[in-house]
Amino acid sequence: MIRNTRTKRASLASALIAAGAMVLSTVPAQAAETTGVTATTIKLGISSPKTGSAGLVYGKLPGAMKAYFDYINDNGGVNGRKITLVARDDKYTPTLAATQTTNLVLNDKVFALVGALGTATHSKAYTAAALSKNNVPDLFVNTGFSGFANKAKYPTAFMVLPSYAMEAKIMAKFIKDNPTLAPQASFLIAQDDEFGIDGVGGFKSAGHTFTAPPTLYPQGGLSAALAEGALTKLSVVPGKPILVLFGTTDSTATILKAAEKLSLTTKFTFIAGSVGGDANTLLALGVKSTTIDGILAASFFPDAKDSTDEYVKQFSAINTKYNKGVTFDNIVLQGMNSAMLTVQALRAAGKNLTRTGLMSAIDAKGSTFASAGLVPLNYSATSRVGYNGYYFGQLNAKGELKPFGGKVSLYTTDSTSGAVTASTYVRKSIPKNGIPTN
Amino acid sequence: MKNTFVKKGLVGLVSTALVAAFAVATPSAAQAADLTCTKASTKVETCTGTDANGAKFEIRMPSNFNGTLYVYSHGIRNNVNLPAIPVIAPAGELINYAPEVAPTEIVATALLKQGYALAGSGVSTQGWSLEEGVDGALQVLQAAKDKYSKVSKVVAWGNSLGGLTAQAFAEQYSGAVDAVLPMCLADSAQSEITMAGDFLWGMKTFFNPAIKGFGYSAGTAGYYEMLGDLQAVLTTLLALKTAIATNPSAPAWPSTSTAGAITAIPVRSAVLLLGLISGISTQSKTYDASSGPAGASETTFSVVLSPALAVLENGAEAAALAVLANYDMERRAGGIVYDNSKTNYTTRLGDDAQVYAASLSGGTYTAGMLQYLAYSPRVTASAEAVAKLNSMYQLQGKIEVPTITLAAAADHITPGGAVTHLINQYNASISAGTAKSGKLLNIWNKPADTYSTFDASGAVTPAKWPNGVGHCQYTTTQVLTVAKLAATAAKTGKLPSSATAKAAIKNDANLFIDPNFLPPLLKFRQ
Repeated sequence: MIRNTRTKRASLASALIAAGAMVLSTVPAQAAETTGVTATTIKLGISSPKTGSAGLVYGKLPGAMKAYFDYINDNGGVNGRKITLVARDDKYTPTLAATQTTNLVLNDKVFALVGALGTATHSKAYTAAALSKNNVPDLFVNTGFSGFANKAKYPTAFMVLPSYAMEAKIMAKFIKDNPTLAPQASFLIAQDDEFGIDGVGGFKSAGHTFTAPPTLYPQGGLSAALAEGALTKLSVVPGKPILVLFGTTDSTATILKAAEKLSLTTKFTFIAGSVGGDANTLLALGVKSTTIDGILAASFFPDAKDSTDEYVKQFSAINTKYNKGVTFDNIVLQGMNSAMLTVQALRAAGKNLTRTGLMSAIDAKGSTFASAGLVPLNYSATSRVGYNGYYFGQLNAKGELKPFGGKVSLYTTDSTSGAVTASTYVRKSIPKNGIPTN
Repeated sequence: MKNTFVKKGLVGLVSTALVAAFAVATPSAAQAADLTCTKASTKVETCTGTDANGAKFEIRMPSNFNGTLYVYSHGIRNNVNLPAIPVIAPAGELINYAPEVAPTEIVATALLKQGYALAGSGVSTQGWSLEEGVDGALQVLQAAKDKYSKVSKVVAWGNSLGGLTAQAFAEQYSGAVDAVLPMCLADSAQSEITMAGDFLWGMKTFFNPAIKGFGYSAGTAGYYEMLGDLQAVLTTLLALKTAIATNPSAPAWPSTSTAGAITAIPVRSAVLLLGLISGISTQSKTYDASSGPAGASETTFSVVLSPALAVLENGAEAAALAVLANYDMERRAGGIVYDNSKTNYTTRLGDDAQVYAASLSGGTYTAGMLQYLAYSPRVTASAEAVAKLNSMYQLQGKIEVPTITLAAAADHITPGGAVTHLINQYNASISAGTAKSGKLLNIWNKPADTYSTFDASGAVTPAKWPNGVGHCQYTTTQVLTVAKLAATAAKTGKLPSSATAKAAIKNDANLFIDPNFLPPLLKFRQ
């Protein structure tokens, strides 16, 4: 038995200590600047919903991007390198998005992420996958949450969509300047998270006061009963009240179908946000074409059905050949546009491609990239804001978005207290055959 | 949404988790006067004894000894006898003082076959026995070295509190060991009790004010208060389980709740909020927060329901542990040790308010729940008791021998953030010149991308423990892999190279190495 007490520990410890030089091992490898790049390839990754309810809306996104990259690859690639895109399905679930983004970085060893989709999903994924510490470029994030433009918090992220706050401010301006709409009572039904809160803040910043406090609901929590209750309550408001719908497309569909059920489709002037106003999805979700006809919606892209638009025309042709069987729509347009921006960014970064070099190239030249967007890109050394404006259009029964008043009237603004101003911006022509040469 | 989706998964929600946490004990035998050794036919000599503090210990020496001895420190054990309590201790429990030489007997057998010797102390006092554990490890090591002169290399290892013990042992007695292997490392007493205490305080505040939780009376009265709390916690958890199983979309609050207007919020959102502010994982044995039954409810289940159900499943163990651990710490320190008098739970929630907005039922409801917590009575600790608690050794990151950690970010009792703290401390020590670089390797354990399973009707089907979630739920192969890496490091004095370590785990999809992966610190340290 050991009989001594703690007083023996010191001598015991000394006796146990063995002298010997320690040979240091190497520290585990730090983030590699050229991970995912070889002499002949560039590996990119995307985490987005391919299945599940959100997959119904956004599932085409990675396929559209891949189709454009395949087209570029068949035309020589980027500085001699072919682009591969690893697409992982996160089902629009934050935890799975974190897992899949980590898989892209650690297992797939992608050079950069492109087109990650969703606010809740990507904000969790960004931290979980240590994108900042690993210095992984996070290109053209598909969410309007203005927080992703915070370079201090998300140093490798680049927004592409205009923020929800911008959209709300421009909506407010549109209502105010429209003599038919301005006198009407106005109401807001919005998603009760950063999406809706960004929107509520935008309206407030623009000085627009709704007739009643907004009706807020959690994502996925807008039931038919809630929608019908809200519309019934508002149906007694005199005139033709404005109903702003600031939520995802499934929520917009729920409200419109409630209006159909209550025979209130003509009672209101519906204004749908850009996220929730995709006509094809609304039709797919069972909304009648007659209900859609006349809905006001904001956009910064040409309509995917506008075959006179040179970007739509080129992307549609690429889609036909490289994305067989997939209908060209706004999501495909958005995916191909992000892919084209990516190719320009890779080209701008030069042949000696590094992660830091890629991000610096977008900071320096991103605002000059050719793009289908009708509003400017705002990248600079101090800005990670993508597009910063909208125009208003009106959906017809075919689901086409036609510019309100017959011509595109652009407005631009910021996510805070800046003014909403009319813009004369004219986008660059599409590169010949849709292949960047910057 | 079908209620049946969650019913099956909730069956046994509490029982298996809690029983697993508190193993049935064997009453301590009379102290051995000297080292008693026997040699079994397995060619392993087993020696038992009792150290100066009264701790029982055990040493197992194989005939093919290769010179390396593992000294194992066990995890926290209950420091109070329990009468028969449904779910927690159905047959009653006595305090367990038995020594352990490895995480499992299967691991022990495998290491002995490979020629490694094993040793471990039962520790003289249970509960948060960090100091006694370090003492026990030191003394069993001395006994082993006294008995077996061929011991040339020593690996200190342990699980949970035992991981903390092993690390504290190595830091305090540098040179006594040649490598360290803390697994599912626990953070400090204050960090851990803050996590468990926040959840328990939240249960009391939201669901059942009859839970005392903190400030147990002295003597027998306090003992019965603690037992009463265990019962109240169980009752409340069962009420929550029943409510969610009955109506997953809008489950009602327990009848014991006095939370007023906020009970209009689905109670599952309140459960999730408590998990998020206390730092309890949103992935559990059954719920992966990533998948749902195929069909229209898939996204709703994975986004809205699954994280809350995971917290409820994890919280069952966390809340019971909170009662028992807090009772132990208060007695040990002589007063209340949990303190949330200045805690800002809105700050605590942080970006999770955005990430889990759907499951929290939206920003407005989240704000309402946070406001309720903000104005609810708080707990103030005794400064003297906290000082006494903190007088126990705090990890410094003073790492001088190769140290390999194995941790799961989703561990709901000892989250991976405890390792993040060790990494931070280590880096600070390197900067201060009190530690050398290149001595710490962290191996992370993660679950499969998705692991919840559903039957044809869409109901959750109970599964056996998936690897990568739960507390110290490592496979035998994983433990043996890291043990071997540690033994090799002990021999060479160097960590394995990154390539060697990655090669060792390359066939295990649940393990990974990423120097930049840092799970969030425990809430106490944020």
